[in-house]
Amino acid sequence: MLKLVVCIKQVPMVSELPWDPNTRTLKRNLAEGMMNPACGHALEAALQIKKQHGGHIVAITMGPPMAEEVLYEAIAMGADRGVLLTDRSMAGGDTSATSYTLARAIKKECPDFDLVLCGCYTSDSETAQVGPQLAEELDVPGAAYIEHIAVKDGAFRLHRVTDNFLEVLEMDMPGLVTVTTHTYMPRYPSLEGLQSAFARSDIKILNARDLRLDPAKIGVNGSPTKIINVYSPTAAKKNIVMQGTAKKVVDEIFAKFADRISGAIGKDLKTHYHDNKACTK
Amino acid sequence: MDFNPCMKHQAVRKAVRKFAETELGPIAHDIDRDARFPWEVIEKMRPLNYFGLQISQEYGGAALDSTSYAITVEELSRVCAAVGLCITVHNSVGAYPIEQFGTPEQKERLLPRLASGEWIGAFCLTEANAGSDAGAVETTAVYDDGDYIVNGTKVFVTNGGACDVALTFAITSPDDRRKGASVLIVEKSMPGFAVGELEDLSGMRANPVSSLFFEDVRVPEANLLGRLGDGLKIGLITLDTGRIGIAAQALGIAQSAFEAAVKYSKERQQFKKPISSFQTIQNYLADMATEIEAARLLLYRACALKDAGQPFSAAAAMAKLYCSTTASRVTNLAVQIHGGYGYSKEYDVERFFRDAKATEIYEGTSEIQRMVISRAVLAQLV
Amino acid sequence: MNRSIWVFADYRNYFQNRVTLQLLAKANQLAAQIGAEVCAVVLGYKIDEYVAEYIAHGAQKVVVVEHRSLQKYSMEKYAVLMERLARDYQPEIILIGATAFGRELAPRVAKRLGTGLTADCIGLEMTEDGLLRQIAPSFGGNLVAEILTPEHRPQMATVRAGIFQEIPHNNSLHGEVVRIPLPKDLPKDRLRLIAYQRQPQRDQRLEDARVVVCGGRGMGSKKKFKKLFELAQLLAGEVGATRPVVYAGWIDNDALVGQAGRNIRPQILFSFGISGAIQHTAAVTDAEFIIAVNKNPNATMMKMADVAVVADANQLCSALIKELKDRIQT
Repeated sequence: MLKLVVCIKQVPMVSELPWDPNTRTLKRNLAEGMMNPACGHALEAALQIKKQHGGHIVAITMGPPMAEEVLYEAIAMGADRGVLLTDRSMAGGDTSATSYTLARAIKKECPDFDLVLCGCYTSDSETAQVGPQLAEELDVPGAAYIEHIAVKDGAFRLHRVTDNFLEVLEMDMPGLVTVTTHTYMPRYPSLEGLQSAFARSDIKILNARDLRLDPAKIGVNGSPTKIINVYSPTAAKKNIVMQGTAKKVVDEIFAKFADRISGAIGKDLKTHYHDNKACTK
Repeated sequence: MDFNPCMKHQAVRKAVRKFAETELGPIAHDIDRDARFPWEVIEKMRPLNYFGLQISQEYGGAALDSTSYAITVEELSRVCAAVGLCITVHNSVGAYPIEQFGTPEQKERLLPRLASGEWIGAFCLTEANAGSDAGAVETTAVYDDGDYIVNGTKVFVTNGGACDVALTFAITSPDDRRKGASVLIVEKSMPGFAVGELEDLSGMRANPVSSLFFEDVRVPEANLLGRLGDGLKIGLITLDTGRIGIAAQALGIAQSAFEAAVKYSKERQQFKKPISSFQTIQNYLADMATEIEAARLLLYRACALKDAGQPFSAAAAMAKLYCSTTASRVTNLAVQIHGGYGYSKEYDVERFFRDAKATEIYEGTSEIQRMVISRAVLAQLV
Repeated sequence: MNRSIWVFADYRNYFQNRVTLQLLAKANQLAAQIGAEVCAVVLGYKIDEYVAEYIAHGAQKVVVVEHRSLQKYSMEKYAVLMERLARDYQPEIILIGATAFGRELAPRVAKRLGTGLTADCIGLEMTEDGLLRQIAPSFGGNLVAEILTPEHRPQMATVRAGIFQEIPHNNSLHGEVVRIPLPKDLPKDRLRLIAYQRQPQRDQRLEDARVVVCGGRGMGSKKKFKKLFELAQLLAGEVGATRPVVYAGWIDNDALVGQAGRNIRPQILFSFGISGAIQHTAAVTDAEFIIAVNKNPNATMMKMADVAVVADANQLCSALIKELKDRIQT
């Protein structure tokens, strides 16, 4: 029976949030939250390990109170219980602060874990740093971008394809992996699963005090990196705008850029092959 | 009074939306064009409890509350109304009456199969000469030595071409107008039962709506639903529930058309401006948004009444009437905002427009809903 | 002790992957502004050829730890070694290429050193105060954030390949080589490489293509997306795609243009139904000429295009195919 921890982040459902240039903030309130896709793959990997070897899965998330929703989803998919870390003082932390906070929670809630699974990156920040840093915080071996996990002779047998190498790794227990989005396609939560998850409501909510977090290591203040400026990189290029029917636009493209396109593809495009007059030019 | 959706309802909405957008989104246009029932998606819906939305968990259902049920149908229909229709009909008029009126034996035998989606259910009342007037039904069930022998033809049966079990409304006592009809559980395997040609409908084309033929079908007495002569009572109660589902379906169609209209109006440029900057379009969008929101509140109120065990017949009729009317108006405006493109099959709003119309007709026409509502209104003490 | 800017030597896929050389070049620019030296850190076994290569590409100093046990990349050993070396030499800045290995190594080293790290930078500058301004895509990709590590040292960043230009190979450059013996007390590896296989070298067709046809979700469906292959064939070009399209399974991961995918520099880029998340746009900035097609004229991709066609991507693709067939003699 393996003790598994899955770290899950709630991310905005739309990949691109509208940017308000006046207030210079993201219009986050317009976006609904969802389970970060890669975290879904990590959970699916845990569910399959549990099915094969038996186990207990704790899903952990950190975020605003609304992030509890992804824990219900995780339980509906088959996790055994959830832990929500929520506190204003945790907000705005960078990966260093986040991994510290998650590690404290794991040590408190599931100190004898065998494997921690994370998504390889989140869709809203894509740093891919929390997993490796969490391994450091927990002082366990870690491997990123894992595509397959097997349990063999008291250790984990891991597969990954990175930087042009297919690697088979052996990792001691306990350990940490981050899972790619190439394998372990997450199952859909069943409606009975959702109904029961909410009826059972097996979720523990912890704040900074419960975790005895060092205030100097969490949130914006506890983050070594500081964001000093955020802007929309849209380079206002002076460009040609075309519209109309597809045929008209295509004609216009060739009228203006036939030379450029033929240059790039190394074929003559000036003449309309099926148009006799043009052919005799 | 709390108008905020609870976290559970949001979670159900997101889960269904994700499923619908992933599995139905890419094919919705094509299955409508080809009038094809997407069995490959039905297969994926089975283990996720879409066929046992409100069936008790002891029979393998999800035991959802009515609002979650409505949200599920709404979100499926937002992407593909024909599959939304399959699910709502199966659940509300296929499975629900059995759980409500069935014998323990009928429940034991049928509900697990229906809840798992192994069997798909249908409810057939409408005939060539009987629709709103249930008393004009001509299909007969004559008792003969422990069986009922059913003869007749049903038309416009939703899920008809896919169903394994059809709750069939038939006349058992031709002389008794009030207690002369009964509901029989007819199973596909019974000799004499046959599926007719699929109807060539304007909308809902991916649902195998068909006629059903009954030719000396021997239905064991054990398959009588409720008591002999309960047909009208079962029919009325079943349709109350069915209306919540159709209202939800109409709402989903309206929501989808509205979203498409908003998106298109921001992209489409005329006179060197997006058309959303013109006041007429803005007014259209404002009206659409308001009507959809009002429709949604009416629907969820009917759901809340039902779950609280209070009378909800009139509320369900209001929700059905208003949601379906809204769906027609909103899809009409959505096509208008799209202009010529909206009239083209290339764009989804054309499908929404055709699908929306059906919601004003089936499960009780808008005229019948008004009748139900006015009866309730006139019965009140003044 | 001299102030220094370190570049982690990621040589595993050299020649194809030249991010280390690109970082050495950038480090030279930054170093000139703060009066620092540029130092490459090479861990491995039989790595003299790389040491020479880095010097010829601008490393003024090369710190080498050479040992048979380092022959294969080892996350745990490398993380500990980088931490110890950094504690001993105290570099101002450590730059690491955003390869899969680099993106896993860097956060571990940063954590061990208790410092900050910015992922996948697309720009690096020195501020007037001598701090490293790390420019990185942020918040899902339509924004760019400028990030500082004001108080912690070293300042660390991973940088994607293809952003900076390397200094041409120059044999007359000199550099000091510092060899450090492998510490005896390295912890035992808890993660062991059992087997590995070099995958066939990923072909560079997308990177080298003179014409690239890129498609996004706006193409509508997997089936419609396939039209791009026909168009690309007519244009003697290659097909690329955005992350959502790859994720939806419309095309192989190999065709991903953007973060964790490829950077392209075609003479002409056709962009169909792509809104333009920064992960994608940053990878196409070197395209000489961009024709973008999107229903939404306000999409980022449309703003950065030379020709912005307001139209349905799928329909325009069909029209282009037809026109090209008419014009190309077969």
